[in-house]
Order: sequence, then C-alpha cells, then structure tokens
Amino acid sequence: MSTQTAIRSQNSWLALPQNIWRSIFRNPLPDSDYGRSSTSFTNFFLHIHPVKVDRHSLKATYTWGLGLMATFLFLILVVTGILLMFYYVPSTTQAYDRMLDLRGTVAFGIFLRNMHRWAAHGMVAVVFLHMCRVFLTGAYKPPREFNWVIGVFLFLVTLFLSFTGYLLPWDQLAFWAITVGTSIAGYAPLVGKDVRFLLLGDSTVGQEALLRFYVLHVAVLPVVLTALVTIHFWRIRKDGGLAKPEEEEVGAPSPAAQQADSVEAPMTMAVAAGAAGGAVTAALPKRKFGIQGLIRGPLVKVGPLEERTLFSWPNLFQAELLVFVISVAAILVVSLSFNAPLEEPVNVMHPPNPAKAPWYFLGLQEQVSYSAFWGGVGVPTIEVLLLLLVPYIDRKLVGVGKWFAKERLLANTLFMTFAVINVVLVVIGTFFRGANWEFVSPW
Amino acid sequence: MTMGPKKTTADGPEDMNRRRLLSWLSGVGLFGSLIISALSNLIFIKPRATYGQPNRFAIGKPEDFPAGARISLDTRRVCVVREGDKLAAISTTCTHLGCIVSVAETGFACPCHGSHYDQDGFVTSGPAPKALAWYQVTLAPNGDLVVDKDNEVEAGTYLKV
Repeated sequence: MSTQTAIRSQNSWLALPQNIWRSIFRNPLPDSDYGRSSTSFTNFFLHIHPVKVDRHSLKATYTWGLGLMATFLFLILVVTGILLMFYYVPSTTQAYDRMLDLRGTVAFGIFLRNMHRWAAHGMVAVVFLHMCRVFLTGAYKPPREFNWVIGVFLFLVTLFLSFTGYLLPWDQLAFWAITVGTSIAGYAPLVGKDVRFLLLGDSTVGQEALLRFYVLHVAVLPVVLTALVTIHFWRIRKDGGLAKPEEEEVGAPSPAAQQADSVEAPMTMAVAAGAAGGAVTAALPKRKFGIQGLIRGPLVKVGPLEERTLFSWPNLFQAELLVFVISVAAILVVSLSFNAPLEEPVNVMHPPNPAKAPWYFLGLQEQVSYSAFWGGVGVPTIEVLLLLLVPYIDRKLVGVGKWFAKERLLANTLFMTFAVINVVLVVIGTFFRGANWEFVSPW
Repeated sequence: MTMGPKKTTADGPEDMNRRRLLSWLSGVGLFGSLIISALSNLIFIKPRATYGQPNRFAIGKPEDFPAGARISLDTRRVCVVREGDKLAAISTTCTHLGCIVSVAETGFACPCHGSHYDQDGFVTSGPAPKALAWYQVTLAPNGDLVVDKDNEVEAGTYLKV
C-alpha cells in the first residue's frame, strides 16, 4: 500500500521537478558510506576520482595542491581566453587597437586580460613547482615513469602556450620578445631555419607570424594540452593514485607499524586463498587494488586499507574545492591590483633596449648572451632530454612519496642544483640586465 | 590417420602466413598513410608565397648615396655603404638573435645583447656568432640600385657605380 502511494506520487505531475532533479543527480547527498561511494562513482564530473583516497595523498604538505592548481589555472585561462577571443583580431593593424579597446570600452576587458595574463604567468610557475614536487618526493619512480614524461611535455607545451600568447597584443614587448625567441629556434642544427620559417610563415615577424601564433595559441596547443592532461590524470588513477611511501604501499609490515596499530589485520587477507600465510605476506602484490577492483573484484580488502584511506566525498572534494578557491582568489586579487603590461605599439625599426623575452625565458636569454647555440639550443635540449630520462635512469624504489628522502640525497641535490641554476639565470636576466644586456644593479 | 595430422599442419602455417601477410600489409598501409598525412600537413603549413616584404627591392639611384655615406634603411634592414665609387649593402639584422643593429661610430652595435661589429660587419665583441651578411647589389636597366637579400655575397664585394 505504502509503496503504491510512493509510486503514484512519483508518477504525478507534482513530482516533476523532483523527478528531473533525480534523473540528473542519481544520488541524493550521501549520508552513508555506500552513498559516498556511489556519489563519486555515478557522477560524471566526480568519477575521475577514486571512491576512496589515501590519507597520505590528501596531506597538503605532501602535494601543496600544485598539480590541481595548475589545472585550475588552465581552466581560468580557457574561460578568460575564450571571452577575450570575442574582441580580439589577429591582425597587425588591429590587434594593438583591440588591446586599447579592452582597456577602454569593453566591459571588464582590462580585468579579463589581467586574469588571462597573470594566470598564464602563474601556470608556468606552478607547473615548474609541481615538477619540483614530483621530483623531490621521488614520485616518478615505476610504475609512474611515463606519467613523468607526459608531465615534462606538459611543461614544454605550457611554455609554448605562454610564448605564443605573448605575441598577440602586438606591442613592442611582444614583437621583440618573439623576434628574439624565434631566432633562438633558428639556431637548432639542421632544422632550425625551417622551424623558424614554419613558425613565422615568413622570414621576419609580421602578419603571418601573428596569425600562426594565434592559431597555435587558441586552437592547436590548448587541444594538445588538454589531451595530455587527460592522459596524465588517467594514468594517475591507473597507477593507483599519487605516489605513496614504500612501506605503506608494499605492505611489508615493519615491526614498528605492527606494534603501533594493534587492530591491523594480518596482511594476508587479500590473498587468503593463496599459499600458506607467512610466505604470502612476503609475496603480496605491490599494487593495492584500485577502487574499481574493490567493487567488482572477488576480494574484499579490510584492515590497513580502511585505516589508510578516506572517502573522496567529502574529503578529497573539499580539498580540491579549497585549492580551486585559493587559485581563483589569488588570480582575482592580483588582477585587481596589477594591470597586465602593454607597451608602445610595434615599431619594427626600433627595438627597446634591452629587448627582453618573457621572464620565464630570460634564463634562456641570459644563456644565449654567452653562446647562441649552446645557450639557446644545446643546453636546453640536454636538460629536456635529461628530464625525460630521469625515471628510466633512477628506477630504484626508495624514498618514494617522501620529501627530501635521505636515500635520494644525490638525485635531489642534482635536481635542485639544476633548478636553482635556472632560477638564478632567470633572476639575473630579469633584474640585473640593462641596456645592451650589460650588467646593471637593480638597486 | 597419416593424412589427418599432415593436413592440419599444412593448413595451419598456410593460414597463419596469409593472416600475417595481410596484417603486415594493412599495418604498413595504415602507418604509411599516417606518415604521409603528417608530412602533407608539414608541406601545407610551409607557405609557398610570403606576404611580407620582398627580399629583392630597389633602393634608389646611386646619386642618392653620396661618397662616404653609411645610410641605414631600417624598413629594409640593410645599411647602404658607399666608399668613393664603390657601393654595398650590409645587413642590419644582428646575427645573434635578429634585432636591428644601429650604425655606430665604430661600425654597428646591437641593442639587444650588446654585440658590436666593425665597419665591414665583422664581430668585434658580444655574443654574435658570425659577421653581418653582405647582399648582392646590382644596377637595374632603369638606373635603380637593386638589393637581393636572397643572394649573400662575400664581405668586401662592392658594386662599381
């Protein structure tokens, strides 16, 4: 009787809004563990996440939310970029005027441009810091080698996106930065001249270059970046989430851990059907089961897994929301406080002195001032190759998931040396170089 | 009894060979078309005509350049040098990173990274890896001087006018 009433009330017109709502959101706000699982599982936007997440991965001091921050900055860039496209014309005669229009007539124009510019700078910085985090915590070790490689490419695409966007205002800064930047490309052996010509569509920076950079900036590179980000995320899930410290992941029970946690179930539970307990403990699979394995698989994991993991709803989503709010707030504050620079319109006859590339390329430019080939092509190529090879050179599974692990002292020192050298070069190029690229004191 | 196994062994490899050949062929076909389409994209984005400035242009009559003049044509990115009755065009695009060098007392100086060149465009200091290019100058039938930036000549090659 009561079920019949329920069905009738569901079929009545009065229940239409409710029915529509329920057809969209399959789950009510969860109040049980089952609900929390299925909310993550059945929602399109949430199902990228695992149902449960390791406590270690949630620690703010482990990831600093840098990867997420980069993603959210990219999101801001996509939104503001699309809005800016409504008013921008990639033409050498109009582009600069459109910049002035953004400043003068377009509602929120200057604000959107500020957001776009500062988020772009922020993204370059955050992606770099994210890479440092992953290195210093040894998170690129097997099975995550290839995700590191994708990450390196993501860094390069981010730089290239920033670089292509730099030309679009068609002011002095843009024009000469791109002149310098594409000349550096010209120094690559064999293909350098052709790459430069393909990039510029002409022998000098002009209308063709502006159009090409525009297409790369608004269509080609964002698609490439999105595809790479998608694979990057997908692999995080397939590799069992973020890298975690060895002991926890392998589950070889250290005496200390066993003493500390008396309720810890024997580690044999997962493969109880297997051989005798003692031997199995040692031979436990390294990868713990993914969450889908938990739901579909024949084995139910209990014990330490429960202790280590939290439900994504709400823990992970709250954390992500926090990072999102921080990222957006930071960009808003910076955009309200500082205007994106816009210099004089392009004057192809008179380069500003000094003519500087965007700050993240000033390390490169500083190197280039010593030797065009080695500074601009040789050393950067070697550095990128080394970065790509890192996870294949350093495969030992020690110090994973820990900041500045003692076992990784050598690797971390080498990496930090490279990172600091590059940062120092950027700082020198930014603050200590004046007219004719001569050494000046900023004080 | 003897026929049975013989037939299956004969059938099996033959079947396999055909399958392997077909999959090999289709693999080659698919990857081949992939490479061809990638290449054709490269060909597509390499412009056959450029819309910027032509690389061959007239700069005026010899009389426009008095003896001893070093006149920098910034839009053309060449410096016309006349010594007596000899005339030449030296590139003012810095060989380092493509900035425009300015004519200085001692030759040329680049504002971007501080490269210096002497009167003939040879590097005297700074990061520039090679000397400024000299371009071919010819006299057109109508008496105009024509500079051809696609035609580099050796430093010190002058046109007698």
